[in-house]
Amino acid sequence: MHSRSGTCIVVGASSGIGLAIARRLALAGRKVAMLARREAELRAMAASINDSLGRELAFAYPHDAAQLETAEPLFARIEAERGAVDELHFVAGVMPEVALDEFDLGKDRLQVQVNMLGCIAWGNAAAQRFLRQKAGCIVGVTSVAQDRGRIGRPVYNASKAGMDTYLEALRNRLWRHGVRVTTIRPGFVDTPMTVGLKLKGAISADAAAERILRARDRQRAIVYVPGKWRLIMFVIRNIPSFVFRRLSI
Amino acid sequence: MSSLAWRDEDVRGFGMAVGGPGSVLRPTTAEQIAQAYADVAARGGTIALRGAGQSYGDAATSHNGHVLDLSRMNRILSFDPATGVAAVEPGVTVRDLWRHAISYGFWPRVVSGTMAVSMGGAAAMNIHGKNNFAAGSFGECIKSFDLLTPRGELVHCTRESDPELFHGAISGFGMLGCFTRLELETKRVHSGRLRIWGIVARDLEHNLQILEDLRGQADYLVSWLDLHGKGRALGRGLMHRGDLLKSGEDPEGVRFFDPILQDVPGKLFGAVPKGWLWPGMWCAVHLRQVALVNWLKFQAGAREERHSPYLQTHGAFHFLLDYVPRWHWMTKPGGLIQFQPFVPQAEGLRVLRTIIERCHAAGLVPYLGVLKRHRPDPFLMTHAVDGYSLAMDFAVSKNERRRQQLWQLCQQLAEIVLEAGGRFYYAKDAVLLQSSFARVHGEPAVTRFRALKQKWDPERLLQTDLSRRLGV
Repeated sequence: MHSRSGTCIVVGASSGIGLAIARRLALAGRKVAMLARREAELRAMAASINDSLGRELAFAYPHDAAQLETAEPLFARIEAERGAVDELHFVAGVMPEVALDEFDLGKDRLQVQVNMLGCIAWGNAAAQRFLRQKAGCIVGVTSVAQDRGRIGRPVYNASKAGMDTYLEALRNRLWRHGVRVTTIRPGFVDTPMTVGLKLKGAISADAAAERILRARDRQRAIVYVPGKWRLIMFVIRNIPSFVFRRLSI
Repeated sequence: MSSLAWRDEDVRGFGMAVGGPGSVLRPTTAEQIAQAYADVAARGGTIALRGAGQSYGDAATSHNGHVLDLSRMNRILSFDPATGVAAVEPGVTVRDLWRHAISYGFWPRVVSGTMAVSMGGAAAMNIHGKNNFAAGSFGECIKSFDLLTPRGELVHCTRESDPELFHGAISGFGMLGCFTRLELETKRVHSGRLRIWGIVARDLEHNLQILEDLRGQADYLVSWLDLHGKGRALGRGLMHRGDLLKSGEDPEGVRFFDPILQDVPGKLFGAVPKGWLWPGMWCAVHLRQVALVNWLKFQAGAREERHSPYLQTHGAFHFLLDYVPRWHWMTKPGGLIQFQPFVPQAEGLRVLRTIIERCHAAGLVPYLGVLKRHRPDPFLMTHAVDGYSLAMDFAVSKNERRRQQLWQLCQQLAEIVLEAGGRFYYAKDAVLLQSSFARVHGEPAVTRFRALKQKWDPERLLQTDLSRRLGV
């Protein structure tokens, strides 16, 4: 497979799982382009990583994943400034609080824009290049929430499901050309996005990043993080609708 | 009384041995505090300010008085990821602050041995950490604060704008007003870990010698003392030295900026939840086997010394008191008090040795001793001296006669300390007498503090059991 020496792009790298992935990549000696919306935090995080490593491997690129048109030019800019890219991690995601009787198009549009279309914009940009170089690796972080549509966050479920299906199609298109596409479905992870939710048995963002990078190394297709969620979601997926619609999970 | 929800509660110090019934309000805004001031003043009552309630003694309690518990004003208002300057409400705890700062590669400049203390309380008590000899006290990392005075004014104060109030309110144990916002500096760290050495100290003299030798080199120094050692082993212990790592020294350390990896482990040997440990320790205290436990711990120190230096996360190094949740319950039902004298360097060996010997003679041996090195700071009611402090934890008996015995012992020990020019720390103290207040700080400082109190709180609205005991 690819040599693992090129630049990595991490979209959504200023906090949580994205930050932990960026840290671990930099720690492994890779050049990492860190992308996120909040510029001050992003620059501080890149600085703190470089600071600890004692050399400059993390580079901050402020970027709003909802600005779909800017993905392609930014990808080209990163290539020009940091050398060939052979790894993309799409970790950006938003999950606004939604009340059970709330149907707010603004919130819904933002989730589709960032979670699904953002992933597509970056996935497309990476796919065409990786296809040309017949190597590379794309990791997309979706969610266990994509397995069923539930009462709590309809559009979060839908946007993650769209992303998940897109990644599957990408995998099927690219795998035969030596490009690996890995879908990560995290369960409960302790990150800024999940602050305030009561998550029993949540793992740390760093532990999630470790498992994600291991899945990448093993060239897995779909990975639940942590692994027990494969079983949990198998059960949940197979609850018949006439039961599921009466449940509050 | 108007719309505020006062609740009658049993308000105690962390040590559980002092305190009593009080009427508690948990405000969420400065307006509510101002309203509480006005309501209580109109009724002629008094108010005690309370942060996280981690003071061992009576610094945040008020018998039959009103208590403002600020733990619900706990927002981090801003954090500058480039400079590490944080603006916080008074109820933000050390835990909240470091969890926020560490992901940016910053660490609070001064932290206590437990992460439960609040920022407001830390400023009012001017707390110190294991780096007091180098970095000074908590007040020194405060850039500015907003103080809501008993007359209802909100005063923004910096070191320059009003040096008198700045240095009096910090260290002023909540006598001049309530902090509603604090701006403080944190420091850049280059790794999520520290380099730690365990050093076995044969006796008290050896302990002090190590403190002096390493003072210029180490970033953190703290010594655990087995006070049950007698004769040549008097004051034996285990010194811990912690050094910050420089940029690039510990590349792996970058991972440990994840707050979860910093936290002290929740289980012993990966299996026993630490929340269940205190009943075991309770047995050790009540079966009088603390000497045995301490001896075992001291012996284990030699092994640690052989494996030094090693790397440890900031959280695990600093927050020793959080290793065993609810550890202070082991002293139930009587509770505990801590006696922590601060002794000038020249007198250190003599005074500390005398104190430990007196404890042995009285048959009241502290189950825990912690020795640290300090340096003076510019705050008015400061406890810091150029010398040493020895924190000693005593279990308190339910038996009134034995309780009195302990108080008398501590007051005798305090006399020795005061004669030597030593000081005390109000976050810990529970025994000091009114006559000692001026001797701790010197007459001029006390006069200045009383003048400040007269200026900002002429009606004496802010009172605690501590301030009444000291006759502020």
